[in-house]
Amino acid sequence: MATTMPLELEDRLPVANRVRFWIAFRRNKIALVGAAIVIVMGVAAIFASVIAPYDPVEPHYTDRLVPPSAQYWLGTDELGRDIFSRLLYGARISLVIGFVAQSVAITIGVVLGAISGWYGGWVDDLVMRLTEVFLAIPGLMFLIVWVTIFEPSPISLFLALGLISWPSDARMMRSQVLSIKEMDYITAAKAIGVRTPRILFQHVLPNAIAPMIVLGTLGIAGVILLESTLSFLGLGVQIPNPSWGTMVDVGRNYLPTGKWWYATFPGLIIMITVLGFNFLGDGLRDALDPTQYN
Amino acid sequence: MIKYIIRRLLLVVPTLWGVFTVLFILAFLMPGDPLRAVLGEQYHRLDPEVIEEAREALGLNDPFHVRYIRFLGDMLTFDLGVSQIHNETVADIIGYRFPRTIQLMAGGMLVSLLIGIPAGIVSAEKQYTWIDHALMIFSLIGVSMPVFWQALLAQLVLTQDPFPIFPVAGYEEGAIRFMILPSLVLGTRLAATLARVTRSSMLEVKHEPYIVTAHAKGLRYRAVLLRHQLRNALIPVITVIGLDIGYLLGGSLVTETVFNWPGLGRAIVPAIQRRDTPVILGILVFGSFLFIIINLITDLIYAIVNPRIRYT
Repeated sequence: MATTMPLELEDRLPVANRVRFWIAFRRNKIALVGAAIVIVMGVAAIFASVIAPYDPVEPHYTDRLVPPSAQYWLGTDELGRDIFSRLLYGARISLVIGFVAQSVAITIGVVLGAISGWYGGWVDDLVMRLTEVFLAIPGLMFLIVWVTIFEPSPISLFLALGLISWPSDARMMRSQVLSIKEMDYITAAKAIGVRTPRILFQHVLPNAIAPMIVLGTLGIAGVILLESTLSFLGLGVQIPNPSWGTMVDVGRNYLPTGKWWYATFPGLIIMITVLGFNFLGDGLRDALDPTQYN
Repeated sequence: MIKYIIRRLLLVVPTLWGVFTVLFILAFLMPGDPLRAVLGEQYHRLDPEVIEEAREALGLNDPFHVRYIRFLGDMLTFDLGVSQIHNETVADIIGYRFPRTIQLMAGGMLVSLLIGIPAGIVSAEKQYTWIDHALMIFSLIGVSMPVFWQALLAQLVLTQDPFPIFPVAGYEEGAIRFMILPSLVLGTRLAATLARVTRSSMLEVKHEPYIVTAHAKGLRYRAVLLRHQLRNALIPVITVIGLDIGYLLGGSLVTETVFNWPGLGRAIVPAIQRRDTPVILGILVFGSFLFIIINLITDLIYAIVNPRIRYT
């Protein structure tokens, strides 16, 4: 651990805090389970083309809707495509959208939250009203309208999901900055004439980042759920790309005829992935928050 | 106190204006020609001049700012316009559909309160025992489950042999058995959130001096737990409930789709497919308005029950 960290950063983080974090994190079994799930999903997404036993898009009309078996572990869909392989490729869509959209949200949130908390006054008022506006608009409905305007391409989804998710990040960042602003080391930095951008990037940001990491992790879970819901409604990333939500949507047409595996496994994978990020985020929060040890 | 209430009331104005602006821009950018949508096949048979006149009369040729100001004016007079597809005002559509969505939201809310708050209390009382761990893991699972998938599973297991307990889908005026499954599905996530918030809030209050005092003066344990600890712990829970109204609205969209429930959510999906802009805009405006008003109310309740807020 120590060797991989840049010297500069290592100097800035008090050693005791870092050690305490690792001890707390490792003791938290749920957090470890979450981390394991996230890592497995990540590996599945990256190496989908290596792991997948079948092509995710090419139809095999002779093997349509085959139940789970030794040949097709999770069965096949209405075009004879292997569901396990499609789930692996689907991991790419879900994880990439989750990470990128949440990065967009965190970036907007950190920048606006920091400005809002640091400068206060009318800037603060303006940003806070903006967060209220975006909190008030029902997210899923906003998304649905958005994709009819801009098409559900990955880039438009990144932006839309980011736009929906940033307000809570901005509020958390603001409250962080508000408390850090009053710290002695900030006063000291100001007193020796450090310029504002440098104070913000070198002193405020590193101290405010921990809760943002927690929010970001939990946020990925939320974004993955939203994306899958959009796909389920038939408005997400377009077929033939195997998106988990789309698979549940198409698969549910075969539920009444007893083809249970088609809709069940994609939904299960969505749940496990989201659960992984929630476990991880929760564990990080416990490990990073010293007030939890009472 | 009065000052706080007035300030909070005034803050609604810029927020509403912001919401109207964002939604108007979205609607303005919606592709598709409303006249073409209304006229369908006839569009091509009509004289282009007649169409141009109709456009002029409907104000569809006006520049952005003129339409924007007209839209704000409409909003101020609570005029949501007329559907371009059906011969109905948007207000009528909402008036018919919203009570049904409210019914579903109330069902979901009831489920979440009945499950979430007791679970949170038990979890806090048994902190760090296996019951606590199990409940919290369950609540994380509840938060992680996609609503649509849960709905499908519920239909798969509880509506056919060997457990044909509930109808698969549909709506019947006042029939409770049609309501149970969608309410359970809609309430699960909120129940999970409430359990977590209740737990941490109960734990926070537990060591407050007034709780210690209540125990010290010999009150029965249950009395302290429910009358002193829970009552104070519920304050943050109220805020969470207010913020989750937005989730319930979105969740009801999915629940209504799966369970064929004639609410607002089911109205917006076909409206989008047919580019019925007034209906889309109207439902979004209404949903946002609802969220703002409910959060205004929860903030005011918060201020009334919590003296620490009142004076800041």
